[in-house]
Amino acid sequence: MNRLINLDILRNCLEGIVPAGVATCGADGMPNVTYVSQIMYVDPDHVALSYQFFNKTRENILFNPRASVLLMDPNSAARYRLELRYLRTETDGALFERMKAKLAGIASHEGMVGVFRLRGTDIYRVLDIEHLPGRELPAELPARTLLPALRRCSDALGVCETLDSLCDSLLDSVIGHFDVAQAMLLFADEAAASLFVVASRGYPQAGTGAEIPFGVGVIGVAARERVPIRIMYAAAEYAYTRAVREQLLEGGLESELDQRIPLPGLGSPASQLAIPLVGGGRLLAVLYLESRQECRFGYDIEDALVALCAQASQAMALMQMQEDRAPERVPATAAAPVPAGQTLRVEHYPRDHSLLVDGDYLIKGVAGAILWTLLNDFRDQGRTEFSNRELRRDPRIGLPEVGDNLEARLILLIRRLDERRLPIRLEKPVQGRIRLRVGRPLMLQTREAS
Amino acid sequence: MDSALVDDTLAAFILSGLSIQVAACRDDGRTTLVRGAGARLSADRRQLTVLVPASQSASLLQSLAANGRIAVLFNEPESHRSVQLKGRDAVIGTVSDADRAALPAYVATLTRRLQHYRIPEAFCRALFSVAPDDLAAVTFTPGEAYGQTPGPHAGEPLRHGEADERGDSHR
Repeated sequence: MNRLINLDILRNCLEGIVPAGVATCGADGMPNVTYVSQIMYVDPDHVALSYQFFNKTRENILFNPRASVLLMDPNSAARYRLELRYLRTETDGALFERMKAKLAGIASHEGMVGVFRLRGTDIYRVLDIEHLPGRELPAELPARTLLPALRRCSDALGVCETLDSLCDSLLDSVIGHFDVAQAMLLFADEAAASLFVVASRGYPQAGTGAEIPFGVGVIGVAARERVPIRIMYAAAEYAYTRAVREQLLEGGLESELDQRIPLPGLGSPASQLAIPLVGGGRLLAVLYLESRQECRFGYDIEDALVALCAQASQAMALMQMQEDRAPERVPATAAAPVPAGQTLRVEHYPRDHSLLVDGDYLIKGVAGAILWTLLNDFRDQGRTEFSNRELRRDPRIGLPEVGDNLEARLILLIRRLDERRLPIRLEKPVQGRIRLRVGRPLMLQTREAS
Repeated sequence: MDSALVDDTLAAFILSGLSIQVAACRDDGRTTLVRGAGARLSADRRQLTVLVPASQSASLLQSLAANGRIAVLFNEPESHRSVQLKGRDAVIGTVSDADRAALPAYVATLTRRLQHYRIPEAFCRALFSVAPDDLAAVTFTPGEAYGQTPGPHAGEPLRHGEADERGDSHR
């Protein structure tokens, strides 16, 4: 193996749209050469080739695992010949989903939608890399320097003391230092198998509370597989507005279309990148970036943001632990007076804890259950101060005693209420505590699912 | 009767300034691959010559000298139409002045084709260009032809009079 060249520095060669040739050798000793739609970087010693059809290449590698691939640098036109040995095929899981998403972008760019169906990812060991002689263009200066940007983002996260400020800092620093125009952060609700937008940047509407089910689009697949998903070209089947709508229609849930919070997001992004935030073994959130520009997010920016998100995940998990350690006892306060004014009607659907306020959808899932519990205690006992720890143990909410990211749900709820400018607000007076403010008389109604 | 594998339709296709990849195998099953730099056919269409950059083709030329088994892939980038021709009698041939003279036109055609994908011209010229004195010629008798246009029928033998149009219906 040529140790001076390694796959890490050739990753850009795997991003091109000019398909790579792959040569194999049959049982009869005859060579075969064809194109492979995609070659993906796995690690410094392995690549994955897309397997879409049972063809001669496949027949050959199952008999004789040796293969050669020609790559070219998409900037300099430098050519590299890789000698490979086929190891195995994966038909599901993280790598498969990454390739499937990426392939969808390439297929749509090349007018091959419907032809490119991924059957598997063939994993190969790289035995040798040969830099072939030939004319090359001079290397250009990198358009962006990622390490200084990463450091600045990391510094900004380091001073955050609350989950609330962490969310904003993560988005603001990514937008500011990585020169990205559109980004959003979504909290995961594993019980609901969905993600909810907690903050976004670069869209006409923030879309706080908008939902993306696990498995739908780039964000949903990144969440379900807990793996970064990156698309270099517009891929209609991974565009959100369409993906979510189609899934609802397929599930016979047309009625939900109207009561959903519209997703922020570009109609047909040319580049997409979704990175899961995993802390303490749990999926906490997904950071999503998109762009109208093709090939905007390469391997290196993915690496930088994965590192940043790892820091953010650790901080989130730590903040959750601190919130849970805060004192449980809430000082007794006089029952809040019943507010004056027109009655505000809050409806609760126990099936999924959807809440409607004066007929308008507000939120659902764990966040809905939390607010419904607080509102009931306010109506029945005049309570306005609650601790995280009592919420965690409240059977009406049904959270696990440890492990659930309660703090994330509270932030989502606070932001959603603020955005709707409702006379119901939540705030956090001190760590581990939540305060309810109600500005109008409440009428609470439980509805059965229709 | 015309018994050459390469008929008029196929000949016109493979000589139309396509992207070319040339593969060979050593006797121990190891493979090699290089980008071609042009092609020509004998008058009776029985002998196909592909040009390759010698400096990138040491292992290819060694393998061909040892066993003569060759596979050549022709691809029209903008339509994805692709054809693979194989032979068992490849020999290292002679590069003619005409081969060297044809190089600029070949590079220009392929460069123009890739404008379909908005790939910069300077990039294409660097990628496809070969120094004229670096050319090597490989000549063989095509014995097998396969349609390689991406899709479920890729790899099936070509029928006479066909330059793998079938793929079009699958795009």
